[in-house]
Amino acid sequence: MSVISVDNLAKTYVTPFRRRRVPALRGVSFAVERGEVFGFLGPNGAGKTTTIRCLMGLCAITSGQASILGQPVPSRAARQRLGFLPEHPYFYDYLTVAELLDLGGRLFGLDASTRRQRVERLIDRVGLSRGRTLPLKKYSKGMLQRAGLAMALINEPELIVLDEPMSGLDPVGRKEIRDLILEQRDAGTTVFFSSHILSDVESMCDRVSICVGGKICDIGKPRELVDQTTRDVALRLGLADDAPAEAVAAISARGTGARRTAGELTVIVTGDVDDALAFARAHGARVLAVTPRHETLEDLFLRRVMAAGGGAGAEVAQ
Amino acid sequence: MTAALGRIWAVALNAFREATRNSVLWGVMVGVIGVGAVAVVVGALSLTQQARVVRDFGVAGISLFGSLTAIYIGVTLLHTEVQKRTIYAIVSKPIARWEFVVGKYLGMALVLTVLVALFTAMMALLLRSQDVALSDAVAKAIVLGWLEVLTVAAIAVFFSSFSTPFLSGMFTLAMWMIGRVTPDLRMSVASTNSTWIKAVARGALAVVPDVHLYSVSGRTVDGVPVSVNADFVDWGYVSTAALHGGLWIAALLLLACLIFRKRDFV
Repeated sequence: MSVISVDNLAKTYVTPFRRRRVPALRGVSFAVERGEVFGFLGPNGAGKTTTIRCLMGLCAITSGQASILGQPVPSRAARQRLGFLPEHPYFYDYLTVAELLDLGGRLFGLDASTRRQRVERLIDRVGLSRGRTLPLKKYSKGMLQRAGLAMALINEPELIVLDEPMSGLDPVGRKEIRDLILEQRDAGTTVFFSSHILSDVESMCDRVSICVGGKICDIGKPRELVDQTTRDVALRLGLADDAPAEAVAAISARGTGARRTAGELTVIVTGDVDDALAFARAHGARVLAVTPRHETLEDLFLRRVMAAGGGAGAEVAQ
Repeated sequence: MTAALGRIWAVALNAFREATRNSVLWGVMVGVIGVGAVAVVVGALSLTQQARVVRDFGVAGISLFGSLTAIYIGVTLLHTEVQKRTIYAIVSKPIARWEFVVGKYLGMALVLTVLVALFTAMMALLLRSQDVALSDAVAKAIVLGWLEVLTVAAIAVFFSSFSTPFLSGMFTLAMWMIGRVTPDLRMSVASTNSTWIKAVARGALAVVPDVHLYSVSGRTVDGVPVSVNADFVDWGYVSTAALHGGLWIAALLLLACLIFRKRDFV
């Protein structure tokens, strides 16, 4: 049985007063299996957050069906077994992290001694020990994100749902969150997270789905989704800084997107690679690297977004 | 049921904590002390009526400061949770929305009870300085004042479940003020010939809690003048008023819960 099952989910918002109907989801379907890290990709306004809000019971579903851990959404029984980190987590800023986690523990019905133990362990685990006496209003974005992740883990959930967990974080913060997610996966927790940071998704996810304009365009393993045939080859050549300009121009003309850096020249070759290499050697270049290139998740993502008519808010405009 | 009570208590405790860390409420506490000081000064000017002044100021202070504080906290209680999106981290936990609304109200009621208790303590201290005990009449007036404050809080929470703090404040203030003049409204229904004034007054009487019931000192109840300084209503009256207030609070919270249950948090 899938941990999350979404079948033809639709959500239409109705604006107050004017009663204008704004479709946000137009029949989203996917399933997340136990133990996997599932990435939910999409540009801003694609419907990622709306899908998550529907799953978490924050919004009513207009049509379609969804279930979490075998319980139809919205379900308090399912929420008892999952952890959720909202996008840009907003918490009671007058609380300390320990008070926040204690509140979370109480809402899950944990007894006082279990709460104490888990609060201490999680504060330590997410690296907030030094900020534990500060109110959350004094926390940086990265610290808030870590506090939110700790709150999502207070009930030792079977499933964690994270809405844009890496958004707005610096590389160090992103790495910390990434490590925490992978640690949860290794512990057997199913992870469902939305993101538009493709490098993170590519490096962590077992499967991904791409949502554009309130619909799912693609779903599967990242390597299976992209076209694996070699599209072109990147030649990285060693070429002295004082090499004749004619030689540089001639080698560059053998490919496209030539890029000259200190002592190096990179050229993208779509034609005969052997011929290009021989030509480069003949002009005094040394071969440093030959890298075949195929479609990336980013290429696929951008292709889907462009096909849907643009980026942010594409679905609202339709 | 125990689990539900635990969740409600968690929300109530957090609402109480929020209020204790709100600087405006500490300002209200300073106001309470200010009312005490004014009572002492006015009492001294009145020569032989110090105790009377303290009682009148104390009872009026509970009603005024308590109700205004109830409006201040109540109108932001639910709206701010949605606006600041703090509610996302709460309702995504295994808590029913009605539990959240009731918990928030109880936390606020706890804050207001502490405020009334502080007023009472200040009144008792000032009366003690006059060698006067806190009488049975004053105790009943304080309980009635407390009921008024809790009812006003429920009105504010009801409006906060669907409206902005400004509008909720205006609506609650209007209902509180209309509720305080219900005898005059009844009189206008009886005396006026205008059909539309009758209809408006009857409509107001039907939808506005009769807050006047809690503020009887210096008025007439069942044709008998009552005062916190002389003959006051009996405990039977207080019990009936408590039942009336309890039913209004329950009805208002029920409506707030029903509205809140249907809301999309976006």
